[in-house]
Amino acid sequence: MDLLADVALLPGEERVTDKELIYICPFNGALKGKVFITNYRLFFKSTEAEALTLDVPLGVISRVEKMGGASSRGENSYGLDITCKDMRSLRFALKQEGHSRRDIFEILSKYAFPLSHSQPLFSYLSQEKYEENGWSIYKPLEEFRRQGLPNERWRITFINKNYELCDTYPTILAVPYRASEEDLRRVAAFRSRGRIPVLSWIQRDNQAAIARCSQPLVGMSGKRNKDDERYLELLRETNGTPKLTIFDARPSVNAVANKATGGGYEGDEYQNAELIFLDIHNIHVMRESLKKLRDIVYPTVEESHWLSSLESTHWLEHIKLVLAGAIRVADKVSGGKSVVLHCSDGWDRTAQLSSLAMLMLDSHYRTLRGFEVLIEKEWLSFGHKFASRIGHGDKNHADQDRSPIFVQFIDCVWQMTKQFPTAFEFNERLLATVLEHLYSCRFGTFLFNCESMRELNEVRSKTVSLWSYVHSSSTRYLNPFYTPESGRVLYPVASMRHLELWVSYYIRWNPRIRQQQQSPVEQRYKELLVLRDEYLRKLEELSPSPPSAHMTSPAPPGPAPTTQQFTHLHTPF
Amino acid sequence: MFTVRPLKPTFKSYLPPLQTDVKKSLHPPVKKLEATLLPGEIVVNEVNFVRKCIGAEKSHDDLWGKLICTNFKVSFVTHEALAQPRFQVSNRLLGEHDIPLACVDQVVTVNDAKGKKKVLGSNQKLKFNPSELILYCKDFRIVRFSFDEAGPEGAKKVCLAIAHYSRPADPQLLFGFELIGTRYLGSSEDGLNGARPAGGSQTPLFACSSDWDREIKRTGAAEWRVCSVNQGYGVSPSLPEFFVVPASLADQDLRQYAEAFSGQRLPVWCWNHPNGSALTRMAAITDPLQQKRLDQRICNAIIKSHPQRGDVHKADLDKNLPSLQQVNNSLVRLRHICVIDPFEETEEKWLSSVENSQWLDYVRTFLKHSCDVVYILEGLNASVILQEEEGRDLSCVVSSLVQIMVDPHFRSLSGFQSLVQKEWVMAGHRFLDRCNHLKKSDKEESPLFLLFLDCVWQLMNQYPSAFEFTETYLALLSDSMWVPVFSTFLFNGPKHHADTMHDFLEDKKITLGEGEELCLPPVWDWSQQLSVTDQALFNNPIYVGKAAPYAHNGAVKSFRRTKHKTWSSTLRGAPPSQTGWSSTLRGTPPALARNGLQGSQGTLPRRNSLAAQLKSDLFPVRDVPESPSERFARDWFSGPADPQGLLLPQLLPSHLALWRLYFLRWVPEAVIPRGGPVTAVHAVSQLAHEIETLQSQLRRYKGPTPGSTPRASPAGGPPGTPHAEPSRMFFKAGSLYEPSPPPEFLSSSFPFTPVGNLCRPNLRGTPISKLLNGAKTWLSTETLAGETA
Repeated sequence: MDLLADVALLPGEERVTDKELIYICPFNGALKGKVFITNYRLFFKSTEAEALTLDVPLGVISRVEKMGGASSRGENSYGLDITCKDMRSLRFALKQEGHSRRDIFEILSKYAFPLSHSQPLFSYLSQEKYEENGWSIYKPLEEFRRQGLPNERWRITFINKNYELCDTYPTILAVPYRASEEDLRRVAAFRSRGRIPVLSWIQRDNQAAIARCSQPLVGMSGKRNKDDERYLELLRETNGTPKLTIFDARPSVNAVANKATGGGYEGDEYQNAELIFLDIHNIHVMRESLKKLRDIVYPTVEESHWLSSLESTHWLEHIKLVLAGAIRVADKVSGGKSVVLHCSDGWDRTAQLSSLAMLMLDSHYRTLRGFEVLIEKEWLSFGHKFASRIGHGDKNHADQDRSPIFVQFIDCVWQMTKQFPTAFEFNERLLATVLEHLYSCRFGTFLFNCESMRELNEVRSKTVSLWSYVHSSSTRYLNPFYTPESGRVLYPVASMRHLELWVSYYIRWNPRIRQQQQSPVEQRYKELLVLRDEYLRKLEELSPSPPSAHMTSPAPPGPAPTTQQFTHLHTPF
Repeated sequence: MFTVRPLKPTFKSYLPPLQTDVKKSLHPPVKKLEATLLPGEIVVNEVNFVRKCIGAEKSHDDLWGKLICTNFKVSFVTHEALAQPRFQVSNRLLGEHDIPLACVDQVVTVNDAKGKKKVLGSNQKLKFNPSELILYCKDFRIVRFSFDEAGPEGAKKVCLAIAHYSRPADPQLLFGFELIGTRYLGSSEDGLNGARPAGGSQTPLFACSSDWDREIKRTGAAEWRVCSVNQGYGVSPSLPEFFVVPASLADQDLRQYAEAFSGQRLPVWCWNHPNGSALTRMAAITDPLQQKRLDQRICNAIIKSHPQRGDVHKADLDKNLPSLQQVNNSLVRLRHICVIDPFEETEEKWLSSVENSQWLDYVRTFLKHSCDVVYILEGLNASVILQEEEGRDLSCVVSSLVQIMVDPHFRSLSGFQSLVQKEWVMAGHRFLDRCNHLKKSDKEESPLFLLFLDCVWQLMNQYPSAFEFTETYLALLSDSMWVPVFSTFLFNGPKHHADTMHDFLEDKKITLGEGEELCLPPVWDWSQQLSVTDQALFNNPIYVGKAAPYAHNGAVKSFRRTKHKTWSSTLRGAPPSQTGWSSTLRGTPPALARNGLQGSQGTLPRRNSLAAQLKSDLFPVRDVPESPSERFARDWFSGPADPQGLLLPQLLPSHLALWRLYFLRWVPEAVIPRGGPVTAVHAVSQLAHEIETLQSQLRRYKGPTPGSTPRASPAGGPPGTPHAEPSRMFFKAGSLYEPSPPPEFLSSSFPFTPVGNLCRPNLRGTPISKLLNGAKTWLSTETLAGETA
């Protein structure tokens, strides 16, 4: 039996090894089969009646461990444990004699953690070709132009073109018109890692803006910085907001604690500004929370006290706080007030808040392309540290820098799509696909910590963008119920009453759950669409004088016998 | 029609106005404040200058008007319009602010100044003048009236009247009787039918033998017969006059057996699986000496009626399902956290509070049990007896759920209604006691029917295209329990129904003419309550019915076809009869409790066992073997679900949800404006309406211009529907090809609204009053100052 027949290798994917072993399936028990490892994936197929396959991109592996020893007793006690970043864990058992697991362990370690072995990530080996180049989805200047920038109050600056002002920011920034380049440099000195307040989004009609930054370097002594104070004042003046609202995403305790390490928050010296803490916890809390969630859903779903177990993970509570924070931001801005967002470094919670608020405020970001731009802009270009948070190709599974901040963001988006099923052009599958490739390393999109690193490593020229792949079959990711509504601000209800666990994502490995290619409602809707077109076509065929305008005109001019019916349908308008 | 207060131009109904609308009678003439009365309805007491509280904290939205207690409802009439637009589906029997007395659960009077509070019962005294009246309703509403400007004596009288009249001493005092009585005493010209033949709908009521005959034929239950041994209720006081029994049992046997059963409730047939297995239900056998013999004979008779002589399994429902009291307590707890406790305070512990209410546990238990029964019928090809002490409570839920899961007929609107008629009303479910309409005994009260509707909702939530009706329908059906006009929910069984009617006629000295029958309308006669336009809210736009047209190859799915497909091919492993299951199980209760898993999983999980203990082991490989019924379910889940085939619910607790529309519809903080699942329904509904229109156009082509239509029949389209029919869709397509965005009035509560329907008492507890605790006197003096000014 050739396993190659079962799996279509990607261009650039190469077979490395294969081996007979036993998969200890948490649902079906031990299954004999064959594993097959390439430079991209681990593929397992059982040779038993229970036809089971596993297809695991090596990028999702966070840890490979040996279990049991050569002398361990008990059946299937000798083998490998593989922990994945995407909620699952796999266990394989091998024959105890002859160090049978040594080579496979080494191969797996080498290919799952290429960076720890001075090897390239798979996205650099991939030969995939797509018609559309996803790297050109986001063009910063174009996006600013869409928002009406530059204008008399905001200018575009290239001060960071060599990443000298701030190495984790993008090269093109929008800043208050009246702030000089020198001002920016001085402000950078007072903001953690030089992440100065810059514009993320602006509302065209009232010029209320969302600016993002990192914490001010106040420190224990409570340092002041006139330039920073003046700069925020300039920011406030851009639309004449009487009071600039500064949202500090952290709990106030954490903000205070940050003073010890030189950080802090804006104090009373900032006139015409108010500071609001949003109580969102840090990356470590979120990591632990997801870990707890995983414990109650994989491999089996906690049955007897499901809801209280779910509550004790606090995962939904964190989601609620993030959403509630974004709602407050969106509410201020749609009320015409400019806001500044930051947390500590301004690349985790800040990215969540700004992107969610933008999603609520600007319907463009609710389209498929708009959403891609949102991710490219607020997450990638502004330096959310994907490499550190996800640990692509890195063997250090216990790295304290890892955290599911982006997963949490996607979950928040999912919650919004649940509450507003017609407001988003994309569907749940897009969100799941984004998360799948957050880990897979098949595309270059989520690699590295910031734009400058991506440039240095020639990501754009040497790897394929996830969006190229998405656009090669974009209809799969479209929500049939989507009804465009420009200008509508979406306020989800951030209440435990409405937040729910995204079961089709977090519990997707459970074989007791039907794997649906598509939600039945969506499917039915699509069928109805086809049916409608079919009827329209029939009607057209039937009409004596073929009215060519049928498919395009909203009110097809009916031929004589049908006028009456069309009248019935159309007069009310 | 909707009460379209400040009219939103986004929503229009394009149907011609209906002549049958009784709307005119619902709107009072502009000048005087008077209650709109139904025939037979009389005003008991009323008080003017009452303020109905609308918002929770602020009073500027409140409405001034008159509070009236009639023998049917608590009515509030006002000239003022609500400040906020609200869209609440309106009931033809009730005005915008009316609450039927039967819906009032608790009457609470408050005197703010004295800090007094009293829950009023019937015939009670009230020692203080109430400043406020709070009505806690059975449908979860909380309505508040303030008497700060009303005459204190008048206010008191109305409160006492409401308390008194919401607790009628006798079923005949329920308003439905007034209504039909009036019809006969000749004062009514209104269409509220007394003697109209029962059921303006086509729903079979199963009160006659022909309905049973048809059901036997429909399900192919050849070896079963309708027996009329109980005509005149001579054998059992709680079974219907006609029921179905194994053909091999003679009337004589039945009469003889009946004595041994609790309530003389013999085993009766519910339904036949296409494979010949039967679903039956019976009460406990009270005579222990006869137990074994009777069990044997009944089993034999049922086996004989099985075409393949399939085995019989007995499911002891009392042992495996929660008690009526447990279910009732559970709803009380759930109601507390949903509507009574302050919103913000319950947020943090919301999930565990829902868990503590155990409502979802019970929903899951009933679904699980029903699935197990389905497995026996479908997977083991064996018949099932549902046994319960009295056989008229838990078995109603289980038998209906089983039939809904297996037989798509019961997922159609008329099928579902006939199911409720068959398994609840005719099977003698004590609606009167369970609803506690007479407020006689709280111990007998139990929301089993609501629990059943919730179970149906779970199925609907998991298989949205499998049901012809919507969750709005389920909610409206549940609300109808509290409109005491329908025969469906007013009696403890068919005999009780007949007896009450008989007594009523005697008491009122009404003599009926030849062939005439005086009867209350069943709830299925929806035009009693809703306009035809609003009845379109029932129709699920994505329902894939039997005749649902598909564009591709016009595949019309049918029940029988699916059966073969789903079962025989997916059921793997040893044939059921060799698993050692059926034989060991025979006659032992219940079929389902015996696999080891059940114990550890616990259908009714014990508290305190702190399962929140997180698993440390990465691989807790299941050490409990999968039970055959689980295996059966797993096999079924591995294939695609056919909306017209068998449906099994996903029973993982993570896949059961709170029925938000029902439980949270009145909660203002939980409303998602222009959002919620209904916005997707809105989109599909528009498309479905467009398709309807196109279909009717195509049909017209077929008619007047036959020459031009060689292949005019739409692909797979149902040819049957007459085209004069009004649209089945509530939301109409705005313009072709472009769905319109969700209109302003849509919200996650649609078609209900919290505005004026949920006014939590802010006496204590709400965060703001907590904050102002010290300033309470200050608050009231300010209010006083406002009043004197």
